[in-house]
Amino acid sequence: MDVAINGPKILFTLPFAGGINITESVVHGWLVVAVVTGVCYWLTRDLSVTNPSRKQIIAEKLVTLVQGLVDANMGPQWKHMVPYIGTLFAFSFLSSVMSVAGLRSPTADFSVTLAMALVTFVLIEFYYYKSKGLLGFFTRLTEPVIVMTPMNIIGEFATPLSMSLRHFGNIASGAVITALVYGALAALSQFILGWIPNTFIANIPIAQVGLPAVLSVYFDLFSSAIQAYIFVMLTMANIAGTAD
Amino acid sequence: MKYLEFFTIDVWTMIFTWINMAILFTVVKMLLFKPVMKILDQRDAEIKKIYDDANQANEQAENLKREYDAKMARAREEAGEIIKQATLSAQRREAEIISDAQEKANIMTKRAEAEIAQERKKAYQEIKSEISDISVAIAGKMVQREITAKDHEALISQFIENVGEV
Repeated sequence: MDVAINGPKILFTLPFAGGINITESVVHGWLVVAVVTGVCYWLTRDLSVTNPSRKQIIAEKLVTLVQGLVDANMGPQWKHMVPYIGTLFAFSFLSSVMSVAGLRSPTADFSVTLAMALVTFVLIEFYYYKSKGLLGFFTRLTEPVIVMTPMNIIGEFATPLSMSLRHFGNIASGAVITALVYGALAALSQFILGWIPNTFIANIPIAQVGLPAVLSVYFDLFSSAIQAYIFVMLTMANIAGTAD
Repeated sequence: MKYLEFFTIDVWTMIFTWINMAILFTVVKMLLFKPVMKILDQRDAEIKKIYDDANQANEQAENLKREYDAKMARAREEAGEIIKQATLSAQRREAEIISDAQEKANIMTKRAEAEIAQERKKAYQEIKSEISDISVAIAGKMVQREITAKDHEALISQFIENVGEV
């Protein structure tokens, strides 16, 4: 019994630019886009002002939830950020939670979480530039004293790095632990039923029933939601912090 | 099957992730947030309009009530005025009638008094003339016997005394 802990699988390679590897992370990202597109399209068909249907109420609830989150953490002047925050949460959560279906989470790939965090980083820098101007954009790094400048620059890059590593680490470690537990339970099943001469019966992974489901609630559902929430909260806090 | 490293930075994965996020952002914004926010705004506007209409109707009703109250008060005042006028004119009329009647009664009384006085005068004259006649008659009778001037005078004054004061 060997347990393999791999990176994302390369599903196919595009034959130009020296071969572009299309991995599971990318394809599963497409899946997220497809699912979100379908759900959004379905939810917002036949919208009505006076007589909302059940799915419209769900759509309105989702929108007002994100609006409330942005309003509470960033303030009403950041209203235009609402769709992006919603996008980020949906992408992060759905990417992580698809491991419930046995699909490798795109967020268990550091390239994906780094890409997400870099978007936040660009937004942070952009809003610093917008609120402080070109001079203020650079002079803020020399505060409170000029000696702090190297620290401030490191701190600036530490934000996306820590965000992406936290997200990646939590989801990937969950996947690793789940794989290890599955491997161990397969070995345990072998140990319990291995003496039976019938190979079909001997290979029933009896010990894998139950425990993985409990772990899945934590690693797949809870951890996915928490990590998406943390990522979104940090994004909001850092972007809103640029106006101070 | 080929795998990427467990912990690695793959530039193409990052690029595709950005493309995915861009598509997802467009989808979420255009298909979810924009239409739903529009509906929510429309609903807010509608609710505001309903409230405004209700307030306006309320105000109108209040204005009507105020107008009605004012009209009622004026009508009541007018009615009071009319009653007061009527009472006053009735009182005036009453006084007029009474004074008229009194005047008439006074005139009548005066006339009656005058008449009585005249009658009395007349009666006095009549009595006087009658007395003269009687005295003449008595004188005639007295002529039949001897009568002195002294007797004559006594007789007349005695008679007049008997008639009394007029």
